[in-house]
Amino acid sequence: MLPRERNSRRAIATLLQIPRNIWCALFREGYPGYPDTDLKRSTLITGNVFLHLHPVKIRRHALKLHYTFCLGGTAFLLFLILTLTGVMLMFYYHPSVPKAYYDMEDLEHIVNFGLLLRNLHRWSAHGMVAIVFLHMCRVFYTGSYKPPREMNWVVGVGLLLLTLMLSFTGYLLPWDQLAFWAITVGTNIANAAPLVGSKMRFLLLGGNIVGPNALLRFYVLHCVVLPLLIGVLMAIHFWKVRKDGGISGPL
Amino acid sequence: MLQRSEDREMFQPNSEKSYGLMEVVDGTSVMVEKAPEDTVFSWPHLVMLEIAWAMVVIILLHVISTYFNAPLEEIADASLTPNPAKAPWYFLGLQEMVSWTSPFWGGILIPGILVVLLLLVPFVDRRLVGVGHWFARERWVANTLWTVFAVGTITVILIGLYCRGPNWHFYWPWQDWPKTH
Repeated sequence: MLPRERNSRRAIATLLQIPRNIWCALFREGYPGYPDTDLKRSTLITGNVFLHLHPVKIRRHALKLHYTFCLGGTAFLLFLILTLTGVMLMFYYHPSVPKAYYDMEDLEHIVNFGLLLRNLHRWSAHGMVAIVFLHMCRVFYTGSYKPPREMNWVVGVGLLLLTLMLSFTGYLLPWDQLAFWAITVGTNIANAAPLVGSKMRFLLLGGNIVGPNALLRFYVLHCVVLPLLIGVLMAIHFWKVRKDGGISGPL
Repeated sequence: MLQRSEDREMFQPNSEKSYGLMEVVDGTSVMVEKAPEDTVFSWPHLVMLEIAWAMVVIILLHVISTYFNAPLEEIADASLTPNPAKAPWYFLGLQEMVSWTSPFWGGILIPGILVVLLLLVPFVDRRLVGVGHWFARERWVANTLWTVFAVGTITVILIGLYCRGPNWHFYWPWQDWPKTH
């Protein structure tokens, strides 16, 4: 065989290997093929940044639907849906008066699937508040906050409060009568805190009334500050579930 | 250490000893001080369940969002106060308590105490009984207290949502509100 022919064959072989090599570089930690052996089942979980939240093996008890009702996982799923739909809504939304309200009308009447997008965000948000509360009830009724899981209950209370604050700050953004007066009522309650109450309200609203400054502050809190905070607390929450010995079960 | 069947070694019995290592058996972990194996692999048991459940939730949300629209009222107007003006539903419990007492007691102190109590729960109730069982009989005091808290929370929210009319007066959901403006 001529050297030139050998080189061209090698070049073709390299080209043909490209898809396989890209695949192997992407999933280098795992083993090729369907995970049908214990080794492959393990490396599928440990070798994947998303799946490695899970332990490689879990207790049979943890899989029972009538034990967890998937409530914690559903809360996380709703958070992911809210992040996705929220970012998409941000493309169509101006946090200014009165543009914010007209953007809502545009979403309903002009933007393709805009109404569906807003509905998904709204109902997921209400659902998340309810599901987080139900998750808390599940954890209580199954005694899952007991040692060694005390601290994760505390983190969970923080997550509940952040969920409420996220929902509350998002409530103002449509800038309709419902939003305006709900936030007026809500922030008037904060006003009643001794000493710092009125100062806190001023800080939150950027003034003494719910106005354009309040809309901008709630927008920044809703889209940047609170999601980052809740993301950090969620990471701690999930990490601690593993560190405390997986989800609770009969002792 | 994971012992795999593919690199299982064969051991020849030592003729000078009355005992010997016959075989290293397949196992997934060291079994010292462990109950009988009661675990399964996350793949596929857990991951598949999560994917299936996520699909159900996403489909359900799309169905709900197709048939029920998020509310949108008139543009915000500081000079036009609705009567009653209601907080978001999850804060209606606070608003309800404020209406019974004062903004300080109902809006700050009582909710503050409730949050502190919530945070203290695992440091007060530390007895390791009934973990991993729904409504364990041994925990009836704790379960009763929580049920009172949960039912109370839901009740005040429902009252705020459906039973509060103009000037925060009580009306049954089927009662008409008097004309105020």
